[in-house]
Amino acid sequence: MAEIDVDELREELLQCRRCGLCREAVYEAAGFDGICPVWRNTSGFETAFMRGKIMVALALLEGRLDKTAENGESLFQCTLCGNCTQICPAEFEPARTLEQVRTVLGDISNPVRDRLADGILKKDNPYDEEPSAKRRWIEELEFEVPKTGEVLYYAGCTSALRLPQVAIDAVRVLKGAGVNFAIMENEPCCGSVMLRTGRYEDAVENAREVAKRIASTGAKRVVVTCAGCYKTLKQDYAEMGIDMPEIVPMAEFAKELIAQGKINLSRDTEQLVVTYHDPCHLGREMGVFDSPREVVESVPGVTLVEMETNREKAMCCGAGGGLRSFDGDLAKKIAADRVRDAYAVGAKTIVTACPFCEHNLAAGAKIADENVEVVDIVNLLARSMKE
Amino acid sequence: MDPKLVKELEDIVGEEYVSTRPDVLLTYSHSASTGYDGRIPGAVVRPGSTEEVAEILKVANKYKIPVTPRSGGTSLQAEAIPEEGGLVVELLRLKEITLFEDLRSVRVGAGVTFGQLDKFLNQHGLWVPVYPESSLACTVAGNVVVNGAGPGSTKYGSIAEMVMGLTVVLPTGEIIQTGSEGNPNAPGPFLRYSFGPDITGLFIGSLGMFGIITSVSLKVYKRMKHFDYNTYGFQTHEQAQRFVIEMKNNEINVLFASFYEGQILQFFMEMLGEEYGISKTDWPPYTVSVVIGHVREDIVRSDAALARELCEKLGGYVINVPELPRGEWEDRFRTFARASYAHGWHWRILYHHHTPSHWRRVIDVIWEGLDKFGLLGHTAGFATGHASFNFYPHIYFDPADKEDEGKMRQMHSWLAKRLFEVGAVPFKIAPYWFRDVPEMNEYLRLAKRIKKELDPNNILNPRVLGGE
Repeated sequence: MAEIDVDELREELLQCRRCGLCREAVYEAAGFDGICPVWRNTSGFETAFMRGKIMVALALLEGRLDKTAENGESLFQCTLCGNCTQICPAEFEPARTLEQVRTVLGDISNPVRDRLADGILKKDNPYDEEPSAKRRWIEELEFEVPKTGEVLYYAGCTSALRLPQVAIDAVRVLKGAGVNFAIMENEPCCGSVMLRTGRYEDAVENAREVAKRIASTGAKRVVVTCAGCYKTLKQDYAEMGIDMPEIVPMAEFAKELIAQGKINLSRDTEQLVVTYHDPCHLGREMGVFDSPREVVESVPGVTLVEMETNREKAMCCGAGGGLRSFDGDLAKKIAADRVRDAYAVGAKTIVTACPFCEHNLAAGAKIADENVEVVDIVNLLARSMKE
Repeated sequence: MDPKLVKELEDIVGEEYVSTRPDVLLTYSHSASTGYDGRIPGAVVRPGSTEEVAEILKVANKYKIPVTPRSGGTSLQAEAIPEEGGLVVELLRLKEITLFEDLRSVRVGAGVTFGQLDKFLNQHGLWVPVYPESSLACTVAGNVVVNGAGPGSTKYGSIAEMVMGLTVVLPTGEIIQTGSEGNPNAPGPFLRYSFGPDITGLFIGSLGMFGIITSVSLKVYKRMKHFDYNTYGFQTHEQAQRFVIEMKNNEINVLFASFYEGQILQFFMEMLGEEYGISKTDWPPYTVSVVIGHVREDIVRSDAALARELCEKLGGYVINVPELPRGEWEDRFRTFARASYAHGWHWRILYHHHTPSHWRRVIDVIWEGLDKFGLLGHTAGFATGHASFNFYPHIYFDPADKEDEGKMRQMHSWLAKRLFEVGAVPFKIAPYWFRDVPEMNEYLRLAKRIKKELDPNNILNPRVLGGE
């Protein structure tokens, strides 16, 4: 995202002609079964979905609404999942535009946004944990991992601090496949949540530091298990003009390794009916749909079934765009909906390729009270790999 | 908004479904209508049942506050723009769908969109074969109060022709049921014209000024699986007009027949031709795009052969670009929105009915207006029902240019009068069709008498009969 011209942004917002398709379009032939997860899981006023958010944004920019925290609240009550962009008949990208609005209206008070950004700038993570905590999972490994190398595994904050098993299983898969890889001594935060919540300038400053630290590892390929990290390091950094090595999502990397016969999945596993949840950042944003499915289907004993909404039209897990921090209860309610989607097609396991999705879907499974397990694609692989 | 009134509303629907927040009110000040002034309401309430709607209207009467019903907020001619400081009753929580398979009917709550209904009926191999081109966001009930039409209307007419009965909350809060369901012992909706006069019809195209529709009962049909798509070219408008009439006379099962003047079609193709896979074509002066459909394949085949024969007999030819009607039909939930917003222009629309034989007159009036006011725009249309044609002229404007927008508003007003003079009729009650039109005075007087009887405090959509 380059410098934002407010007049151009306003013109973009005016592309919305308020047709309302972004609320709850059910278009069976095209694979849509609803659009906005926030609208579905709130009181359902117009401010809940994109049409209303755009009206609010325009009014705030034009001074027709006061820039109070209450008036700005709806702008942050959005996962930026981009499903509205998929259905929008006008010539603009609503979710991306809203992200810019958050930046331009940065003077509207939002303590959560500021706490997240300050955490990243001061402690290398948005969870307000000490930087050293991000290495805890590495200490659990029974082997040494170099700190420099041509292939770098970048775990991301959520894996490192909330779902360490994702990071642990990722390195088990890499090691099992005979990949020589490195892990950073002090892995920084990619800054995704800063970008999504409107702290653009801080995100650029952070990105330069991240790029510098990654460059110091000598990495030519950076393997990521987090969809948010993937989009940020690959797409957003490029838009900032920051050169990066090749960024590869773990699903793509694992697919390569399986094709090369380096991952041996011959161990007998239980029969599992699984469904794959497309993380918005990996799927809709970056177009990675096939490789995760191919990896899942390569696991012996696994039957992959699709949820009613999938790929470009998949409903969001509810965690993105900062919503999990702004309104955790709402984010979890949205996740519960997605878990019910999985249950409806007979899946007992939801596989995803983003720890942030996994974390929220697991919370949603508790609310939905469905006996559905949520795992990352690397968990599934690690469980099935021959020792 | 009076806090006592707000509290009474909260007592009816629960606190979470009433809002007086400035940001929320702002978002209800407009609908999908562009080129109209918004009005900020005083409160928005989202009832969850017909009974709650009834209680809300009793409270609104007590406080004599204007009420604007709203569902999808997709209307294009300011129908759902509220009164300043008034109450918006938003009906999207009314989501119930009940199928009466043996009665060939379905009852849907006022919050059900065409997309949702179509998905539900598809499971049963059924459909309601009239689709407004905002089907993904437009509710069935909302479409009934504007008496909309769209793909499917060439055979089945406007949505009014599908309606078998309504549940309506009158402005004073009484709940009435029209059609066969007026008898609570009846098995469901199977007859619209029951109990004498067509009370159902009073509410269709009424813009909600006589009552709030909370559910609609509709005819359902077996879903068609067999279609023929083709385009027919003509050198003169008389040939094209006659072709549509002859297809009707010969009972060809045309689900959707659109008229395009050559330059208009070229304009659409430049925008969306590639997206719909339509090859570059040298379009004739007049094109009729036709979708023939039936549950039986043999009938589709014979109808298609007959359409070709009729076209050629009239001096036309088969263009053989099936992608145009195929795109119009298969993407019927979204084509109109896509075509309307792809080019980036803002516009006002003036939907109306005319006849296939007067198509050219409408086009001439619209071109005359665009020249007179120095604006851009276009129109096309589609055959609707027995002998009607639905036109949707668009007048473009730049919202950042106040002078341009002003000219557009002037032209819209001028166009309504001119179209009336050449025989056009609206399919809903709307102030811009009646203003300064003396021929409509008696009709208006009657409408006002009915309104006064049903709505003594004039709370429901008071602007409809009272001018903007």
